[in-house]
Amino acid sequence: MADNFQNKTMASVMMDYEFKMKTQNERSKVEDLFDFEGCKVGRGTYGHVYKARRKDGSDTKDYALKQIEGTGLSMSACREIALLRELKHSNVINLIRVFLSHTDRKVWLLFDYAEHDLWHIIKFHRAAKANKKSVMVPKGMVKSLLYQILDGIHYLHSNWVLHRDLKPANILVMGEGPERGRVKIADMGFARLFNAPLKPLADLDPVVVTFWYRAPELLLGARHYTKAIDIWAIGCIFAELLTSEPIFHCRQEDIKTSNPYHHDQLDRIFNVMGFPQEKDWEDIRKMPEHATLVKDFKRSNYQNCSLSKYMDRHKIKPDSKAFSLLQRLLLMDPNRRITSEQAMQDPYFSEDPLPTQDVFAGCPIPYPKREFLTDDDQEDKSDTKARQNQQQQQPNTQQNQVQANNHDHGANNAKRMRMAGPNQGNNTGGGGQQEFHQQQQMMFGGQQQGAGNQQQGNFQQRF
Amino acid sequence: MAGNFWQSSHHQQWILDKQDLFRDRQHDLAKLTEEEYQKVFNFFASIIQVLGEQLKLRQQVIATATVYFKRFYARNSLKCIDPLLLAPTCVFLASKVEEFGVISNSRLITTCQTVIKNKFSYAYGQQEFPYRTNHILECEFYLLENLDCCLIVYQPYRPLLLFVQDIHTQIQDDQILTYAWRIVNDSLRTDVSLLYPPYQIAISALHIACVMLGKENLKPWFAELNVDMDKIQEIVRTIINLYEMWKSYDEKKEIQGLLGKIPKPSPAPQR
Repeated sequence: MADNFQNKTMASVMMDYEFKMKTQNERSKVEDLFDFEGCKVGRGTYGHVYKARRKDGSDTKDYALKQIEGTGLSMSACREIALLRELKHSNVINLIRVFLSHTDRKVWLLFDYAEHDLWHIIKFHRAAKANKKSVMVPKGMVKSLLYQILDGIHYLHSNWVLHRDLKPANILVMGEGPERGRVKIADMGFARLFNAPLKPLADLDPVVVTFWYRAPELLLGARHYTKAIDIWAIGCIFAELLTSEPIFHCRQEDIKTSNPYHHDQLDRIFNVMGFPQEKDWEDIRKMPEHATLVKDFKRSNYQNCSLSKYMDRHKIKPDSKAFSLLQRLLLMDPNRRITSEQAMQDPYFSEDPLPTQDVFAGCPIPYPKREFLTDDDQEDKSDTKARQNQQQQQPNTQQNQVQANNHDHGANNAKRMRMAGPNQGNNTGGGGQQEFHQQQQMMFGGQQQGAGNQQQGNFQQRF
Repeated sequence: MAGNFWQSSHHQQWILDKQDLFRDRQHDLAKLTEEEYQKVFNFFASIIQVLGEQLKLRQQVIATATVYFKRFYARNSLKCIDPLLLAPTCVFLASKVEEFGVISNSRLITTCQTVIKNKFSYAYGQQEFPYRTNHILECEFYLLENLDCCLIVYQPYRPLLLFVQDIHTQIQDDQILTYAWRIVNDSLRTDVSLLYPPYQIAISALHIACVMLGKENLKPWFAELNVDMDKIQEIVRTIINLYEMWKSYDEKKEIQGLLGKIPKPSPAPQR
């Protein structure tokens, strides 16, 4: 009879020794294949990201190695691996390989390295603006960025994948190399399949999306995530690219709440957009938090607010094609918000300058490369900043400094200028950035002539 | 990734060749006949099914777990990892991938213990479920490696629903879906999920259901499908063979003997 019955107390042999040894020998360790010590470029709730090179020199490309937070396979790690294994699009980050480290139970993901992201790019422009410096970039850059974001999201949406956490830090841009200036949508850790979800998506984890990019229906308690929620976030990112300011900036309180309703964030949205009219969003009364909304808000407080006025203050004319597209992306009623496909057909993209594959359009890249973080940097994340980091999943600690600055949004410029201080003092970055910036300006000026220069002039003002 | 099956890892890596599959099983087929091998997998598919039901998982999650299980042993001998450990590990992994929400480790182990004790005592007698959380977690890494991180599995359920919708314009019969759905569930006890794309399995299940229900008038519908009917016939035959086997098989009597025969993992050599 079976061995099992001979001795009840004998522990079963779960795994064959030979099999174990054989797979152990065949398994490559991430630290054997890649050099990345001291090359941390990102830190967030998702884990750590390192800039890595192959040890064997078979290529000299840079790679990004992401060590997933915690040990073992969390549900979000599972989803990230499962989805990225299947997705293939030039504007979606490409998962090259997964390393499982059995000894410490760490999971590593290998990606192509993206030198830039919209968080850093916008930060750079904000800093320049605060210092009354201009940044030379091609006039069509914002358009190219937006087009590629839409292209990537259209691919995800047509594959029934929602991103659900779109924000500037998750939009990467490739640096010098074969994919120069290409947008890569990243951080799919929270991505959801939404074709027949097995559970209401809102049940799975408490509020995780940064509030600034959250669609109003989420803030009013919508239980199911939709494509329209990603589109809203793209609208927010578009506005931020045009103005260098987060359009729905809001002081962030403790975000670890399971309640999606967020008064201050809604207030901020209404302050920009105006209070929604019944006819603009008929289903608003069906929202779970509608009663709270009626109780907390007075329409009359927002009578003079509108998106066109807000954008006009930021030098985006209400009759421009950019504004008209923005307005279609930022419709309060999710049912009326346009799809990624419709957005890509918008006249904005057929107007000169046309979007380019390389968002830098062959021009020098004015943004600094990512800096390496030391472990000390983490100490900077004290009190409120640590919280923000958690909320925002920012790629590194430098961002926290700017985040702090964002708190002062609307305050005078003198206050904003202070931002440059700690940045410069922090490392070579701040000073280096300035130097780099001026240098680029010169180079760029030398390359472009006549009308081009004037266009750049327009752009500077806007960006 | 309900999106594009044709570009999926399922289509590109995990529709296996029958000869390859047979060849890779030779180690196990030295100890078990083909029929015995199938009976063993039939048994573990039952364990996965019952575990899934106890954990209140949807059939989609259970089906994915079953396919993980079959994929692992398509490339490895039963000797490599004790299937009694791999089965709950597949359930655990599938529930995370299919976004069911994480099953707590303790709940998984408790459920395994209860299920083995209450539902499968005919196979394991008084023996308790011998594994703990750490075993499952270790096993999960091996499973993920052997699946080559291909975690999204396409199932026949969705195409089946679409086909039934299409048929509905011609014939109103809710029994067709009920029958075909069960046949798809039963197909998990065979190799078809390793050998054929899910839409073909769905059509085959529908075909069998129509025959069972005597729906002759659907013949033109099948004829108009642009599908390789030879493949459909192969799948139909495989599933019918399963039903034939069940007729003369008493698992309660035979399974202990079969479990005794399967190749077992060897422990590390004693030093």
